[in-house]
Amino acid sequence: MLRIVGGQVYDPAHGIDGVVQDVCIQDGRIVENVDAAPTIDASGMIVFPGGVDVHTHVAGGSINFARAMTPEDHRRTTAFIRSQTNRAGVGGMTPTTFATGYLYAGMGWTTVNEAAVPILSAKHTHEELRDIPIVDKSCCVLLANNEILLDLLEAGEMERAREVVAWQIWASKAYGVKAVNPGGVAAWKYGKNAEQLSEPVDGYHKVTPAKIVAGLAQIVDDLGLPHPLHLHCNNLGVPGNLTTTLETMQNLDGRRAHMAHLQYHAYGGDDWSTMRSEAPQLADYMNAHRNFTTDAGAVLFGDTVTITADGPWQHLLYKLTGRKWGNLDVENETGCGIVPYTYRPTNLVNAVQWAVGLELLLLIDDPWRVFLTTDHPNGACFWRYPEIIQLLMCRDFRRDCMAGQSDKALSRIHLPDIDREYTLYEIATITSAGPARALGLPRKGHLGVGADADVVIYDQDDDVARMFGHPRYVIKGGEIVIEDGDIRATPEGRGLLVRPPHDEQIEAFLRPLFEDYYTMSFDNYSVEMERIQQPEICDCIDTE
Amino acid sequence: MSLTIVDNATCAFCGCVCDDIEVHADEHKIVAAKRACILGKAWFLNHTTDKHYPDALVDGRETTVDEAVQVAADLLDRADMPLVYGMSNITCEAQREAVALAERLGGVADSHTSL
Amino acid sequence: MGGKVSCTLGEVKNRADFVLYWGGNPAECHPRHFTKYALMPKGRFVPRGRKDRTMVLVDIRETKSVKAADIFLQIRPGKDFEALSILRALVKGQHVDEKQVAETGLTLEQLTDLVDRMKRAKFGVMFFGMGLSMTRGKHMNSASILTLAAELNAYTKFVAMPMRGHGNVTGADVVMRWTTGYPFGVNFSRGYPRYNPGEFSTVDLLVRGDVDAALILGADPGATMPQPAIDHLARIPTVVLDPKVTHTSRLARVHITTAVTGISAPGTGYRMDEIPLPLRPALRSPYPTDEDVVRRIHQAVAEKPDWMAAGGQTTTTQI
Repeated sequence: MLRIVGGQVYDPAHGIDGVVQDVCIQDGRIVENVDAAPTIDASGMIVFPGGVDVHTHVAGGSINFARAMTPEDHRRTTAFIRSQTNRAGVGGMTPTTFATGYLYAGMGWTTVNEAAVPILSAKHTHEELRDIPIVDKSCCVLLANNEILLDLLEAGEMERAREVVAWQIWASKAYGVKAVNPGGVAAWKYGKNAEQLSEPVDGYHKVTPAKIVAGLAQIVDDLGLPHPLHLHCNNLGVPGNLTTTLETMQNLDGRRAHMAHLQYHAYGGDDWSTMRSEAPQLADYMNAHRNFTTDAGAVLFGDTVTITADGPWQHLLYKLTGRKWGNLDVENETGCGIVPYTYRPTNLVNAVQWAVGLELLLLIDDPWRVFLTTDHPNGACFWRYPEIIQLLMCRDFRRDCMAGQSDKALSRIHLPDIDREYTLYEIATITSAGPARALGLPRKGHLGVGADADVVIYDQDDDVARMFGHPRYVIKGGEIVIEDGDIRATPEGRGLLVRPPHDEQIEAFLRPLFEDYYTMSFDNYSVEMERIQQPEICDCIDTE
Repeated sequence: MSLTIVDNATCAFCGCVCDDIEVHADEHKIVAAKRACILGKAWFLNHTTDKHYPDALVDGRETTVDEAVQVAADLLDRADMPLVYGMSNITCEAQREAVALAERLGGVADSHTSL
Repeated sequence: MGGKVSCTLGEVKNRADFVLYWGGNPAECHPRHFTKYALMPKGRFVPRGRKDRTMVLVDIRETKSVKAADIFLQIRPGKDFEALSILRALVKGQHVDEKQVAETGLTLEQLTDLVDRMKRAKFGVMFFGMGLSMTRGKHMNSASILTLAAELNAYTKFVAMPMRGHGNVTGADVVMRWTTGYPFGVNFSRGYPRYNPGEFSTVDLLVRGDVDAALILGADPGATMPQPAIDHLARIPTVVLDPKVTHTSRLARVHITTAVTGISAPGTGYRMDEIPLPLRPALRSPYPTDEDVVRRIHQAVAEKPDWMAAGGQTTTTQI
């Protein structure tokens, strides 16, 4: 039991905008009232629902591959020293699992969605998720380059494809469906890509990226998944890719989709030297089409490591940078590429990318549909979110940051002309209420009765980055986990799953195909329930 | 004696980790390992439920696991820089515990990879 | 790791029309590597199986694997790095010195032919064994073959993969990476993970006498390590967990017999391509599992006073 007294509460889901009121907690949930409970005096403080990260890469084969490739970063970053109750670790670009939980909670984030899981190595992802303490976790399974599914789409067998997807979601113990460079990663298996939405994917006659996107979005809606199709479009990072992005969105024809890290998909120009921001055009489209949500995938200057299932893009990035290149193609399903990267303010392309992330956040007018992410660790590490909040809330700070940029760079972006400053209410929306709603998690992202008691309390501070980087209290499931930067408790987080019903006969269809295509036994493919920490099976919804 | 058949058993002998082995076992030993290679077969068929070895030894004296665990904890805790080494022929779950122990001890965790 | 361009074994099965083994003898060390994964099986895009693939073996001597090869290149011992460097130059069309080629024990004709075949492949794979990674040049050899594979992607699809031995050694790498950030040789003496191969690697620590107790599990260094390292293990209190009383057990203070991984101990093991697989034990062991015993030792240690001072841990600002 706990009563938070006297804080200014920001709870956008209930339209509460800085009202001083008590928040009461019992048995891990928000309740109407509690008697004789310990209190936290939050006078002069700001109370938010716990942060929700809709798109991050924190567990599984890809991030673990990146850890292997960046020991020099682990060495220079701030380490986590073991305590009598907490595990050791390293932070930095690719934090270890324990450090990941401490860093997210330390910033006030209490729910994270791992955005890219191959079924084949989903056991690995869940083993790592189990070792991320405090936060609740969900994950999205990679399906847009799954060759069994592409074959079904080629044959026009949509109904069977739907049953297969339902089976695959449960087999991987996932929460949602992710599409990465639809068709392009499959083509990458022979060193090719998929750059045209309406051209058949290499090796197919009928299946195009457009058909994969529309097919998967339809299946996700038919299955009633609480989170819409989570979509990483074709041509990520490429100058002039705005056309592809808009075509993809038009092609969805009113179906729901979450457009991942839109920053990487909002460029004009014909090549690297003419690249420019097309954020306003994309923001206009987003503003006019309410079937979409998106996350920024914002970029901050500095060192990071890029991680994506988009194998062909990573090969290009390796050729451009000449830096280390990791690649792991996953049989019949997906790929994975790793390239360390440094975003430099003096680099024209990087300067545009930095601006585009912020422009999208500032120009998309509905904070319920655009969320704060950096596509961790691609645009920047998640623990740098407070810097982005400062950029959104302080126009003068933005201007200071642009002061050193060349006229050429400034002529390619729109940020200097944007005056909008985010309010605390809007920040609470893009960091918590909005992503929770987009994920379809009814007990997250708000402080109404019945919500999970995930609450963050900030000392009011004119230095916005300091305020958001150093909460006074973080409460997870009703328990104080962080107090003034100190870790007080490290409860296990929950594993959030969905179990869309599927025809049991679908296994009879899958088994022989599997035996031909894979090198693992079909019976060893599914993730066992015992691997999920505190599993919670969430309801499917009516998407009509 | 009843025969157990484990289908899709995994051979942990070499790095191929083939998981399509059909293992036939009675209560005492493995009697067949279908689809396993010559190395895998030898490995599977080499094991029984017999107690060929004492539960535990401390300074060459047979003892209980409980006592040996306590002595091991004493020796490792007393050390300034203990080493936890090997980890090749154990499960990931055991590896995870071994790393946690090395961390608690303030020692070194290392595997065959370092050779 | 300087990077690695790789894939899971099923990609090789389904696509590889060019398969090269360098410094390995899969016929005897990984017998099903040929039959289940890389050479013989019919794949989606190589429907005739073996007939659709070219197999090249590079080794210092004729092993049993030669019989399975289309082309055997017998390289002079210790010249792997040189041969790989020449291949990298040939791939890029750079000039190579005939005298340097001759030193490798191979001819320019052989190497040029190899490069042509690599470039003509639709999907090429190079597996490398301890004959490459554990001989003169060691990790530099591994880096060189991995770089060759990466660079070949300018011409066609190419990947490379080490042939990991020793059961679940891959799992140890994977688990240590997510828990500590590093794959092996992790030092916690300052309370957080530090990594420095050569300094914190077991043989170096033992030979220098830097450790004053040891817990050995899932390995028998007493049978495999250099004598000075074994001598130090005998000098310090050593604890062994193993299904058998091993060479190391005989020089240890404590031995605890444990169940055999995968035979009578359940859990997870990783394949050489980092795919996790469940272990399904067929027997019940009279002994506890390693997992159980390590946890019990940890619990017993945890009951003692902690060397780490009490107090909360801080989520310090990251830099």
